[in-house]
Amino acid sequence: MARELIHAIVDGILTGGVYALMAVGLTLIFGVLDIINIAQGVLVILGAYLSYSLSTRAHIDLFTGLLITIPVMFIIGVVIHWAFIRRLRGTERTSMTLLVTYAVALIIEGVLYKVYGADDVQLQASYTTSSVHIFGFYLPWIFIYGFIVAVCLVVALYLLLYRTRLGRSVRATMQDENAARLVGIEVNRVAALTFGIGVAVTAVGGMFFGATNAFNPNSGYDLISRLLAIIILGGLGSIGGALAASVFMLTLESVVTIWQPTWAIAVFYAALVLVLLIRPTGFLGRKAVRAQ
Amino acid sequence: MSEAALALDGVVAGYGGGDVLRGVTFEVPANQITCVVGPNGAGKSTLMKAISGLLKPRLGTVTLNGEKLIGKSPRQILKLGVVQVPQNHSLFKDMTVRENIDLGGYILSDRAQVAKRIDAVFDLFPQVRDWAGQRAGELSGGQQRLVEFARALMLDPALILLDEPSMGLSPLVLRSVLDAARQMNANGATILLVEQNARAGLKLSHRGVVMENGVVRLTGTGTEVLNHPEIGELYLGGAVKNGAQPG
Repeated sequence: MARELIHAIVDGILTGGVYALMAVGLTLIFGVLDIINIAQGVLVILGAYLSYSLSTRAHIDLFTGLLITIPVMFIIGVVIHWAFIRRLRGTERTSMTLLVTYAVALIIEGVLYKVYGADDVQLQASYTTSSVHIFGFYLPWIFIYGFIVAVCLVVALYLLLYRTRLGRSVRATMQDENAARLVGIEVNRVAALTFGIGVAVTAVGGMFFGATNAFNPNSGYDLISRLLAIIILGGLGSIGGALAASVFMLTLESVVTIWQPTWAIAVFYAALVLVLLIRPTGFLGRKAVRAQ
Repeated sequence: MSEAALALDGVVAGYGGGDVLRGVTFEVPANQITCVVGPNGAGKSTLMKAISGLLKPRLGTVTLNGEKLIGKSPRQILKLGVVQVPQNHSLFKDMTVRENIDLGGYILSDRAQVAKRIDAVFDLFPQVRDWAGQRAGELSGGQQRLVEFARALMLDPALILLDEPSMGLSPLVLRSVLDAARQMNANGATILLVEQNARAGLKLSHRGVVMENGVVRLTGTGTEVLNHPEIGELYLGGAVKNGAQPG
């Protein structure tokens, strides 16, 4: 039993890494633009399909393919911001962005159905099916890679935010948009770049999600509800919080699955409610988020 | 009067629900402090936004040393040397004081120049240097104002717009904040000050401008405006007397 429990915890931690890859973009976009990008789940799936196309049609390795999919997703993010988000202003902006990004999700989903059909697919490579034997456990390589990449990505985003000029402008815009304008920060440009980066990250998340799960164009909706739960639990806008919450939630789900798989999803969301009752701002609430 | 650094001519601006500024015309002389006073709703803060580019005037011209500002973005206007310290505290509260000061030089690409300016600003406001490692949000209102002033000086600006710097400050703190404004002016800064505390603002200033309902009612030296009987009645509680110069 103890062995099963440890295995479940390790599985949960590694799966949490994959979910963090998908959640950090969402929380970054919220932090700067103060909007929830409902399309983030579908964008993850789009990232997965891009990897799928490169892998099956051009025989490009999944990791090598990221060199193409990350810039492509970045451009898609900037275009979505330019075409839909930047036009929204005023008091209804936040609620309008929910509708607009939902519309974006529907458009992308429609295109994916048209191009790829409704059948489930999964990304394949030698490391998606092989495992490594450590301390008596068989751990899938793809999950180990996913976790390492998640940690590297969080560190990279941290360095971007705290060690670069762009990062300073992003943090300033997160804290006070008008004050940022007054010191010469081009807030619209920062918002577009942040949206682009937040979407570019989904290329990585999408690749790992697609390599560990079968997916179809509709898979984004289940994902977005989970990702929202994760970023709320982590503290909206917190990149480190997204990683911590991903690991916590997925570990909890994995452990509950040992006893009662049908309860796993319910416990996932119940944990969110419980934690928020104790700590309404999540693991790294707004204050901690901004001071991190 | 010194040569005008800033000139406004027939400026009309508003927010969509009607014009707040209805043809504002006056000049801000170089190396002097000019104080704009007037009752709530006179359009003082709107005037500041119209100059700094946060609000685009519908009509009229705003020129800085002969260069037109209208149509330029806040960043372009900043590059020309117009820095605004807004009415509400505008520090990035979760950043340190040093990071805030550093951001005052955001548009400067030369990091060595930024470091030099930080030193110069710290020399002018030694107390700000003492707070450098503290989070800006931990400072008192008056301390935050001084940091905002210091940040405004990072670009060695041609014109500093101070929008109600006394807001929310106790009389004692207000004095130190206004002293800091005087100090910046003594170092050569041209300042356009909007101040609800008209008496304190006008006492400090070389020039005074009185606005009401989006138009300029009077201009003159700070003392002339301060001593104008009508202005005394309207804005200063009727405590001052003597003549004034209509604008």
